Amino acid sequence: MKNKGLLFLVFFLAFGLGASDSCRAQETFQVNGVYNKNHMYYAFTNARICVDCEKVIEKGTLLIRDGVIVEAGEKVNLPKGAVVYDLNGKTIYPSLIDMYTGYGIPEAKKIPRTYFPQYETSTKGAYDWNQAIKPEFNAVSVFTADKKAAEDYRKMGFGTVLVLQKDGIARGSAAVVTLGDARENELVIRDKAAACYSFDKGSSTQEYPTSLMGSIALMRQTYLDAKWYQENSRKTEFNASLLAWNTLQLLPQVFEVKDKLSVLRALKIGKEFGINYIIKGAGDEYQRLNDMKESGAAFILPLNFPNAYDVEDPYDALNVSLQEMKNWEMAPANPAYFEKKSISFALTAADSKDKADFWKNLRKAIAYGLSEKQALKALTETPAELLGVSDKVGRLKKGMLANFIVCSGDLFDAKNKIYQNWVQGNLYVIGESSASELGGNYDLKVGAETYFLKISADGDRLKGIISSARDTSKIAASIGLEGTVITINFVQGLQKETVRLSGTIVENPTALNGRAELGSGEWVDWKAVYQSGLKESEKQDAEKKLSVKADSLKQEIPKIEQVYYPFCAYGSPEVDKSLWTRYKERQHAILIKNVTVWTNDSAGILQHKDVYVNGGRIVRIDNSITPTKDAFAVVIDGTGKHLTPGVIDEHSHIAISGDANEGSHAVTSEVRIGDVIDCEDIAIYRELSSGVTACQLLHGSANPIGGQSALIKLRWGLSPEAMKIESADGYIKFALGENVKQSNWGDSFVTRFPQTRMGVEQVYYDAFTRAKEYEKNWNQKGVRRNLQLEALVEVLNKKRFITCHSYVQSEINMLMHVGDSMGFKVNTFTHILEGYKVADKMKEHGIGGSTFADWWAYKVEVKDAIPYNAAILSRMGIVTAVNSDDPEMGRRLNQEAAKAVKYGGLSEEEALKLCTLNPAILLHLDKKLGRVRVGNDADLVLWSDNPLAINAKAEKTIIDGLIYYDRSKDEQVFGDLEKERARLIQKMIRAKKAGEKTQKPELKQTRNYDE
Amino acid sequence: MTNKLALLKVVAFGLLFGTAVMGQNKSVLLMNGTAHLGNGKVIENSVIEIKDGKIVSVAGVKAFAKINPEDYDTIIQLAGKQVYPGIIAPNSTVGLIEMEAVRATSDFAEVGLMNPNVRSETSYNTESVIIPTLRTNGVLIVQACPRGERIPGTSSVFNLYGWNWEDALLKGDDGVELNFPRWPVEQLPVSEAPAPVIDRRQLYEKQVQELRKFFKDARAYAEVDHPEEKNLRFEAMKGVFSGSERLYIHADYAKDIVAALGFVKEFQIKSAVLVGAKDAWLLTGMIKESGVPVMLGRVHDLPAREDDDKEIPYKLPGILQKAGILFCLQNQGDMEAMNARNLPFQAGTAAAYGLTKEEALMAITGNSAKILGIADRVGTLETGKDATLFISAGDALDMRTNKPELVFIQGRMMGANADNVQRVLYEKYCRKYNIAISQ
Repeated sequence: MKNKGLLFLVFFLAFGLGASDSCRAQETFQVNGVYNKNHMYYAFTNARICVDCEKVIEKGTLLIRDGVIVEAGEKVNLPKGAVVYDLNGKTIYPSLIDMYTGYGIPEAKKIPRTYFPQYETSTKGAYDWNQAIKPEFNAVSVFTADKKAAEDYRKMGFGTVLVLQKDGIARGSAAVVTLGDARENELVIRDKAAACYSFDKGSSTQEYPTSLMGSIALMRQTYLDAKWYQENSRKTEFNASLLAWNTLQLLPQVFEVKDKLSVLRALKIGKEFGINYIIKGAGDEYQRLNDMKESGAAFILPLNFPNAYDVEDPYDALNVSLQEMKNWEMAPANPAYFEKKSISFALTAADSKDKADFWKNLRKAIAYGLSEKQALKALTETPAELLGVSDKVGRLKKGMLANFIVCSGDLFDAKNKIYQNWVQGNLYVIGESSASELGGNYDLKVGAETYFLKISADGDRLKGIISSARDTSKIAASIGLEGTVITINFVQGLQKETVRLSGTIVENPTALNGRAELGSGEWVDWKAVYQSGLKESEKQDAEKKLSVKADSLKQEIPKIEQVYYPFCAYGSPEVDKSLWTRYKERQHAILIKNVTVWTNDSAGILQHKDVYVNGGRIVRIDNSITPTKDAFAVVIDGTGKHLTPGVIDEHSHIAISGDANEGSHAVTSEVRIGDVIDCEDIAIYRELSSGVTACQLLHGSANPIGGQSALIKLRWGLSPEAMKIESADGYIKFALGENVKQSNWGDSFVTRFPQTRMGVEQVYYDAFTRAKEYEKNWNQKGVRRNLQLEALVEVLNKKRFITCHSYVQSEINMLMHVGDSMGFKVNTFTHILEGYKVADKMKEHGIGGSTFADWWAYKVEVKDAIPYNAAILSRMGIVTAVNSDDPEMGRRLNQEAAKAVKYGGLSEEEALKLCTLNPAILLHLDKKLGRVRVGNDADLVLWSDNPLAINAKAEKTIIDGLIYYDRSKDEQVFGDLEKERARLIQKMIRAKKAGEKTQKPELKQTRNYDE
Repeated sequence: MTNKLALLKVVAFGLLFGTAVMGQNKSVLLMNGTAHLGNGKVIENSVIEIKDGKIVSVAGVKAFAKINPEDYDTIIQLAGKQVYPGIIAPNSTVGLIEMEAVRATSDFAEVGLMNPNVRSETSYNTESVIIPTLRTNGVLIVQACPRGERIPGTSSVFNLYGWNWEDALLKGDDGVELNFPRWPVEQLPVSEAPAPVIDRRQLYEKQVQELRKFFKDARAYAEVDHPEEKNLRFEAMKGVFSGSERLYIHADYAKDIVAALGFVKEFQIKSAVLVGAKDAWLLTGMIKESGVPVMLGRVHDLPAREDDDKEIPYKLPGILQKAGILFCLQNQGDMEAMNARNLPFQAGTAAAYGLTKEEALMAITGNSAKILGIADRVGTLETGKDATLFISAGDALDMRTNKPELVFIQGRMMGANADNVQRVLYEKYCRKYNIAISQ
C-alpha cells in the first residue's frame, strides 16, 4: 500500500488523451457531442525507466504529451500544468510488440469443397490464376479494432501488433496497429508494414497446389511472373495480383512455416530470388540450429511449447516417440539457443491457444536460459526494427509513441504485476490494486468490536486471518477484491454467525473502510487500519513454489548438444559434428579383409579379397592388403561375408515431406521433390540398415507429367541438401494409365483431362509442342519464364531424363511414338509390368525398365503382370532394375531381386545387378556407383551371407566410405534409445506431478506414399 | 523297377510345364527326397507312400527294403529334392477377391457391424486366377476370411484345387472373425483436425460395451434349446461358445491384446485365436499363460512405431517361439490375396531372425493346421494325413530355390505351374523372342 495516488486518476483518464495543437494530429472524422481535446503533459516521476533493453534510468521521469514521448530522463523539467504520476518503486517499460497476430482481422472464410474438383480460381476479378496467391489483400483494409482482444493483449503487456490474415500462400500486406480503443484511423501506425507468405494454401478451394512442393513451385513461378509483369511493357494482360506482388517487394517479407525443414525450404526460395525473409518459425528450429545461423535470416519464434505427455501407462508411453519427448524437453530452450548463437529473433504469442500461456511460457523460456534483456529486445526493439517502425515503438525515446507499461517491478519476475498499459498516451488500467499490495497486519474495527486482521496473498487471491484480544484463536476470513471494492467475511461468536463487510480501499493513511452487516442483521461501520507489513516468511506461498520449481528446472535444462541428428529415434548427437566433418573432409579409411566381393564388373564374384576404402572411394582390391597405419583406419574381418555395391532403389517415395504427388494438374513438371526432402524419415534408417545406399525419390503417378525427382544417398543425419547426390542428372516422373486417368480416385474425379488413354497421348503432344514453341522464343525479350515448360525443354535437350510409370503395352508403345515424333527418349519405364510384351521395342529404343518383382492383381492394368518380367527384360538385353515404391519392400530389395532367380532363372550375379548396378545405370550414376571397382564411390554393403539368400543381413552399410549403419552396434544403439526414452519418461512423470499440463499419447500411423 | 522309375520320372517332370492335372492317383511312392515334415523333423532319403489321397507312411531309408514297387501306380525318384507339406495361408481373402481396384471382383466385406452369419464358404471362387500362382510357390491351402466391421463373418478353409467351392472345401465354417475394438489411434498426416482424443476414447468404450452386449446376448441365446424366434446372428455364434468353431480375434496393439485376452477369459471362449498381434513381443508371458495361440501378422512389415526395434516384425516369430507360444504366420494387408504366395519367404525371413528353418516351416504348415483346427487332416507329412504336399528343387523358404515341381492336393498330382496364367504368358513371350524358357 505504498502508493494509492493512481487510484483516483483512473476515473479521470478513462477518456482518451489524444488530440493536439494546431500543427499536430488533426483528424478527419466527426465527433458526436463535445470534442474532448487536451494537450496536457503527463509526467511519470520517480520511476525506474527501461528506455530500451540496454538503457535503464534507475529513478527518472517520463514526460508525454499528445500520445508521444516528450522526454525520458533522470532530470526532466516538469511543465506547468503537467499531470503527475508518482511511480515511486514502479518500473516503466516500452510496451511489447507482437509481430505476428491476426488481431482485428476476420478469418478467411472456409468454403466447403465442391463435389467436383475445382481446377480454376474462384476469386472473381483480374487477379492471379491461383486462389492462394492474394498479394492484393491488405490487412489494413479489413482491420477493425476488437475491444475484447485488444484488452487481452494489453493485459499481457502488448501495445503494438502486426496484423495479417493468416491465409493463403501469398497473404498480402500486414499492418502495424496499436492496441488502443479508438477509431482505427488513429490506431494504424503503418498500413503496409510487411508482406506475408506461407506454404499453406489455406482457404483456397482450388486444387493446385495439393502438395508442399506444389506450393513451392507456385511461389517460384509467381516470382518469375511478377518480374515479367514488371519488366515487360508489351504485356497484354492486366493482373492486379502481380501488380500488388511487385509493390509488396519493398516491404519486409515475412514467411510462416510449419517446421524447421520448411525454414530451409523458404530460405532456399529467398536465396533464389534475393529475398531475406523474416521467418515465422514453428519452435523446433533449434533442431537445425547451425543451418538457421548460416542463413543469416531473422526469425519470429513462437512461445508455444508442447505439453508433456501423460506417460503413466507404459503401453500408452510406447506411443510417444523419442522425437516428441525430446522436443517437449528442449523446445522451451529454443529462444535461448538462438540467443547463444546470436541469431536475431522476435517472439510472438501467435501460436498459443491460450493467451494466459504467454507469460508462463516466456518465463519458462527465461528459466531455460533466455536472458531477460534478450527477451525484452525480442518483444520490443527487434520487432520494431524488423517492421521498420523503430522510430515509433519499441523504446521510450523522445518523439516515439507513448506506448508503455507500468509494472510493479521487474517485468520478467514471476511476481510482477502490470498495472497500466498506456497506448498512444491513453491509459488502460490492467490491475491497479494488486492483491499482494494489500498484504499486511491491520487493526480492524467492526462496530464496537476490535480485531486483528492479517491479509496475505495467495497468487491472485487474498486470504485473511482474524483474531482478537479476547479470543486469540485464529479465524479464517474470506476476502474478495474487485477494483477497489473489498469484501471480507468471517464467522464470529458462539452462534457462528457470519459477519459480512463491504468497503473500499482508502488511500492514505492506508486503510479500508465501509459498512458491515452482522449476523443479527444489524448494520455497522467498519474500518481497518494498516499497522505493519508481513514478515518474509508470511509472503506469498505461490511465489515460493514458483522459485522452487524454477530451481528444480534449472538442473535439468537441456543443452544444445542434446539435439539428435536427425531429431528422432536412431538419430545421434554425434552426426552433426563428427560425421558431417568427416564427410566433408573425406578422411576415413576402411579395410575389409578376406571377403567375397560381388564386383558387378567383368571380374565377376571374387573370393577372399581385401578391399581398401579411403577418402570416400574404393582405393584397392587385392589378395592381401596390409592394414594402413592411419589411426582412423577401421579393419573389418570379412571372412565368410559378402561385399556388394550398395542397393539402389530406382523408385522410392521415402523421405518426402508434404505428399509425393502434386495431384492437381495433368502437367506438373515445375514441382520438384528436391524441394521437399525429409531427412528425418525413419524409413531412411530402416532402409540403410537393409543395405540401401541411394534412392531416386520420385514424384507420384497422379499425372501424365509429374514432378522432378531427387537423387539422394541415405546420409542419415545430414540435411536435405547434403543428402542429394552431387552432380547427378535431373530426372522427371511421367505416368500412364489408370492413375493419371483417375480411374481409381472415386466418382468425383471425372472432370480433369485426361480421362482416357487417348487423352493421355494428347497431354504429351500438347505439353511438348508448347515446350518447343517456348524454347524457340525463350531468349527473346519479354518472354515469360515458364518453369513447367523449361523442365520439358530440358527433356528435349537431354538434360533431364524421364522415368515413366507404366503398365500396359498400348500406352508404352504410345509414349515411345510420342517420343520419336517429338524428339525425346524415355530413359526408364518404371513398374513396366507389361514390359515383357514390348521388350523388343524397348530394346530398339534403348529404354531401361525398373519393375516390381511380383506385384499384380491389384487393378485392371496389372492383370497381365508376371513375375518373369525382370528375367525376360534382362534376357532381352534391357537394363533392368527391381524397385520398391514402398518403404517396406525397400528394405528387401535384395530379396526382390532374388525372385528373378526363381522366376525366369537369372544367375545370382545378374539378379544382384537388378538392385545395384542396373538402377545405377538407369540413374546415370554407374560411373561412380553400382560396382565394386577401384575409383568408384565407396558405397558398399557387407552382408552376413550371400546377399540374395533369404537369411542375408546387411551388417555394415557404407556410404562415401563412412559406416552409416553397423549391425554390431544394434544392441548398443537400441539400448541408448531405450535409455534416453526412459530418462524422458521419468522426467515427464515428474513434470506431471509438478502440475504441468499433459496430453494423452496416441499411436500415430504414418501414411506411406505409393506409386 | 529301374526302367519303371526312370519312365515315371519323365512323366512326372513332363507335368511341370503342362496345365493338366492328373487325377487322384490310387497309389504313389515318393522316394529319396528330403522330407520336411512340418513338425520340426526332417527325414533324408525319405520314402513317402500315398494311397487314395492320404499319406500312408513317411519313413527313412530303412523302409526301402520293405517296398514292393509293384504296389504303386507311380513311383517318383526325388534324389536331391525337397518334400514339404502344403503351405497353409491362414487369414486370407484368396478366392474372395480378384482385383483390389475393381469393386465387382470383391466379395469379402459385407454391410453391417455384427455379421457372424455371413460365410465366406459360398463365395469362394475356385477359378480365381490367383490360385494357381499360389500353388506355384507351394501354398496349397488357404483360409478365406470375410473382412469388414466388428464381426465380419465366418471363415472357411479350402484346398487350392477343386471344381467348385464344395470340392475345394477342407473345413467349412471353421471360425468367426472378430475385429476387436481398437484403442484410439491417430491417423497421420490428417487433412482435417481429428476428433478430440476424449471423444474417441468414449467411442472406444461404446464399442467395447456394444461387443460385450452382443456376446452376452449370443451366449444366453446359445443356452436356450428352442429359442422363441430364430436369430441368424446368434445361431452363427453358437459354435464359438461350444468350442466347435474358433473365434479369431484381430488385435495388434498392446492394449488391444490385453483387452482381447481379457475378453476371452470373460466369455470363456474355448477356441480363441489372436490374429495380428504386432505388439506380442511385449506380452509373451500373458499370451503364453492365456493359452491362446497366435496368427502373427506379416513378417514383411514395418514396425508399428518409429522408435520400435527396426526389425521387430522379422524377430517376432522367434520371440514367440522362444516363449513357447503356439503361433503361425499369416499375411493380412495390402494386396493380400496375390501376396499369399510370398508366405514361404516371410517364414524364411523369420528363420533369418531367430527361428530355425524347420520352425519357420512349422509356422506356415503344422502350426497353422493346429491353430485352424485341421491338424488331423493337413499341415504335416504324417501317416493318415491328406496327401497335400509339394516337391521343390530346393529350399522352399528362399526365393532363389523355392521351385516347386510337383504338387499333390489330397493325392491329386499336378505340375506346380498348372493353370498358372502368368506362366502361360511367360512361355508365350519367351517363344515370341526366342529366348530360353527357364524351368
